[in-house]
Amino acid sequence: MMKKLPEEKVTPFVEKLLKDYEVLGPIQTAGFVSFGRITSPGELKLNHQNSTKAPKEAFFPQWEVLFRYRSTGQSVEVQSTEDPGRTRILFGIRPCDIRAALLLDLVFDSLDSKDPYYINKRKGTIVVGLGCNHPVSTCFCPSVNGGPFSREGADLFMTDLGDGYLVEVLSRKGRKLLQYLNGKEASEEDKERAMAIEDSAARGISSVIEADGLMEKLEKMMEAPFWDFLHEKCLGCGICTYLCPTCHCFDIADEAFDLRGQRVRYWDSCQFPLFTLETSGHNPRPTGRERIRQRIMHKFNYFFSTHKAIACVGCGRCIIHCPVNLDIRRVIDDIHRE
Amino acid sequence: MTFIGNNAASNSGEPLRNPYLPFPMRVERTFVETSDRMLKSFDLAFMDKTDEAGFRFQPGQFCEVSLLGKGEAPLGIASSPTEKPLLRFTVNRAGVVTRGLHHLEEGDEVGIRGPLGNSYPMDRFQGKNVVIIGGGFAFTTLRSLVVFMLDHKNRKKFKEITVIYGARAPGLLLYKEEMAQWERREDVNLYVTVDKGDEDWNGREGFVPEVVEEVGPSSVDAYAVICGPPIMIKFTFPKLADLAFSPERIYTSLERRMKCGVGKCGRCNIGPLYVCKDGPVFSYAELEELPKDY
Amino acid sequence: MEEIQNKIRQEVAQLLSEGQVDFVIGFEQGSLPLRATPFFLRDIADANLLVWSPFCENNLATYLTKIQGKRVGLIAKGCDVRSVVALVVEKQIQRDHVVVIGVPCQGMVDRRRIEREVDGEILKAHQEGEEIVVEGRDFRKSLPWKKYLYPSCKRCEHRNPLIYDTLIGEKLVEEAEGAYHEIEAFEKLSPDERWSHFTEEASRCIRCYACRQACPMCYCAECFVDSSFPKWIEKGLDPSDVQFWHIVRAYHQTGRCVGCGACERACPMEIDLVYMTQKINRDVKELFGFEAGLDLDSPPALSTYRVDDQQEFIK
Repeated sequence: MMKKLPEEKVTPFVEKLLKDYEVLGPIQTAGFVSFGRITSPGELKLNHQNSTKAPKEAFFPQWEVLFRYRSTGQSVEVQSTEDPGRTRILFGIRPCDIRAALLLDLVFDSLDSKDPYYINKRKGTIVVGLGCNHPVSTCFCPSVNGGPFSREGADLFMTDLGDGYLVEVLSRKGRKLLQYLNGKEASEEDKERAMAIEDSAARGISSVIEADGLMEKLEKMMEAPFWDFLHEKCLGCGICTYLCPTCHCFDIADEAFDLRGQRVRYWDSCQFPLFTLETSGHNPRPTGRERIRQRIMHKFNYFFSTHKAIACVGCGRCIIHCPVNLDIRRVIDDIHRE
Repeated sequence: MTFIGNNAASNSGEPLRNPYLPFPMRVERTFVETSDRMLKSFDLAFMDKTDEAGFRFQPGQFCEVSLLGKGEAPLGIASSPTEKPLLRFTVNRAGVVTRGLHHLEEGDEVGIRGPLGNSYPMDRFQGKNVVIIGGGFAFTTLRSLVVFMLDHKNRKKFKEITVIYGARAPGLLLYKEEMAQWERREDVNLYVTVDKGDEDWNGREGFVPEVVEEVGPSSVDAYAVICGPPIMIKFTFPKLADLAFSPERIYTSLERRMKCGVGKCGRCNIGPLYVCKDGPVFSYAELEELPKDY
Repeated sequence: MEEIQNKIRQEVAQLLSEGQVDFVIGFEQGSLPLRATPFFLRDIADANLLVWSPFCENNLATYLTKIQGKRVGLIAKGCDVRSVVALVVEKQIQRDHVVVIGVPCQGMVDRRRIEREVDGEILKAHQEGEEIVVEGRDFRKSLPWKKYLYPSCKRCEHRNPLIYDTLIGEKLVEEAEGAYHEIEAFEKLSPDERWSHFTEEASRCIRCYACRQACPMCYCAECFVDSSFPKWIEKGLDPSDVQFWHIVRAYHQTGRCVGCGACERACPMEIDLVYMTQKINRDVKELFGFEAGLDLDSPPALSTYRVDDQQEFIK
């Protein structure tokens, strides 16, 4: 089902959503656009590509309490915190970030073990996707099974027509939002315009990585001198992993305040030296060489080996924000040339 | 410990057990194993009987032992499922959590999450000779394995059982009571050795790799399990190769920094496998297929 | 600039051909407009890839604490050279392990400010004399690049490398606004206002430690955040922990920070950072007459004691 939401009806739509739901989307944060919760429709920055922080925070927050405990002398009370609260709407999410959520599902909602913190939030979230009319130069989603107008994983999908949005209902969850939408059936002209925009967007992708054969190539490169040089300019910070929509590594710690406290989990990065440090002092990944190798191998080989999907959605955040301009596109080119 | 919390709903609508919530346990007994007091065993009991009923494990598995306020430590289960309701962990005092665990007394509460990981491949060992080689405090899950195999319900499933166990000094040997019992049994060949004895020691002196060579267990129809410090493994493995044990007949248990224990936090991977979930027990044949990331 | 670029290439080629260094750290063309990227160069044939532009914003001295006994050639701006001096003075590197190819620096362009001058993505950028020309899908704009320098460049008093083995090009006239000019505004704020600014900025922090990794003076084998016994700080986003991280890192830079701004340039959340260390640096200058990275023979302020040090804090 396709509706046309005229431009002047967008604000009322979001206002109505805000009455019943928490709404999160791309928002102005200091001098740039990041991702967070809105309190008014005007805060949404829908024409920006791509928010600095990824929407993965909606299901997998950077810092989350797993349970709280309190010792009363006689016993210890433990209160788990799985309840996510209100249903939320992710509004204006790019297809790459939606695909990333599907990849994270493979990790957190797997057959052998289910993560209730992630799952509860995920189930309680409605995803309103937004197609990318003008992908930026660092986007390479089609190379990794995505696309600027890929609808995979969205409950509603919006296309910016200029004078409003074409809104497609793609799931039961999406259908629930129709009652807030004050729009008519999309006309044939609207649909044609949308198709033209999609075509132009596909042609607007200028970055390509060669995913074919990449996993096999990497298979043979575990001990290659390639890694000795790749890591040299890498600073070993956590920017690429923290901004990456598919990275999911975390640490667990107890934050204690005398007789009470909480067990929390928070993002961790395979680029940090402590990540694999064992109590004995042995570290299987003692230098940046092993750590950068782990990142590349995990994204493009190990994850693929287990889940048959590359753990990269081509969003380009790591390229834009790396302080030393270590560019994954160049890295993959170099890998193929090895 | 009392728990107040919601559980996530699975697709079938049944509540899922939150894998991050520990079972409340009471410390029943503590026992200092070694003369340097670095290794202490703790026997735990479930405070909730339904937890106990649902806790079924196999030798080789581990738990994340939880000390609220300090954190968790991944510890191999040292007791055998045949010893239920006993649940024993042997803790090496090394970091923040294990230091905290060492202060526990009888009656204190801890938590455990588990059983986690895979187990020694008992189905493969059936009808075969099993050679168990352990060094130092790596013997914890091997104790579980040996006690399991020697249990009267299980013993006839296995052929000859050989145990070779070494420590640096007599005072550092674990499970002295069990070793004494096994010494007296006819259905297990026990060889205990120390790197260097003391004036009271009348047993064998020698490094584990040398003892393996001396004992020379046959690799025909046999499996070997080897757990110990890297240096011991490095020198023992070739001895097993000399005895014609092939890599798919030699098993080991790996250690890693672990946190979630369920293959989600991402840190314990070796290639595409997670040591907490797809291990910690691996055959050398399996390890040869994996990247050398350990 | 092109002349300087050529001279750098020649100098590096010579250095490598004479076998004076095992490798050279400089810059090559970045993969994005407005970027140059650090380049570790071993092959003389690659010397032609070296660039020099207003986009060479990284402090390359941060790599020196990892060179482990090798001899390195370093393309160094004024601030980078101060870092080299500071590292030598703190005995983290040996002076004779680094061949400093000093380049007097006219300042580096704040690429984020340039990006905000246009509507849409910048697809191409190049320097034409005093202008940076940026082009996008439907725009082309010329901007006077010296008006878009990083704040740390605008106040830089040491554009000319203070030490060097080779100097590329002519020395520049030092014409800074004054090193502590911008913190004067901060100092006029009341304590509440200062706290508000600090907490507002810190609230965006994602604990990625890019600031720490980019900083040449953050070279500790174990950073205090990674200590578990004692555990000084939690690693999550509780505001008190995040604020503690920033404050302690600033204090660990006392008398050591050279004000290069690498931390701010690396931060993905564009947090104001340098004002903290600059304020502390100025206090150190007033109290002890010391500024980091200026003199190979002056020990760090906090590791020495002079009999005439100010003592009013002893009551």
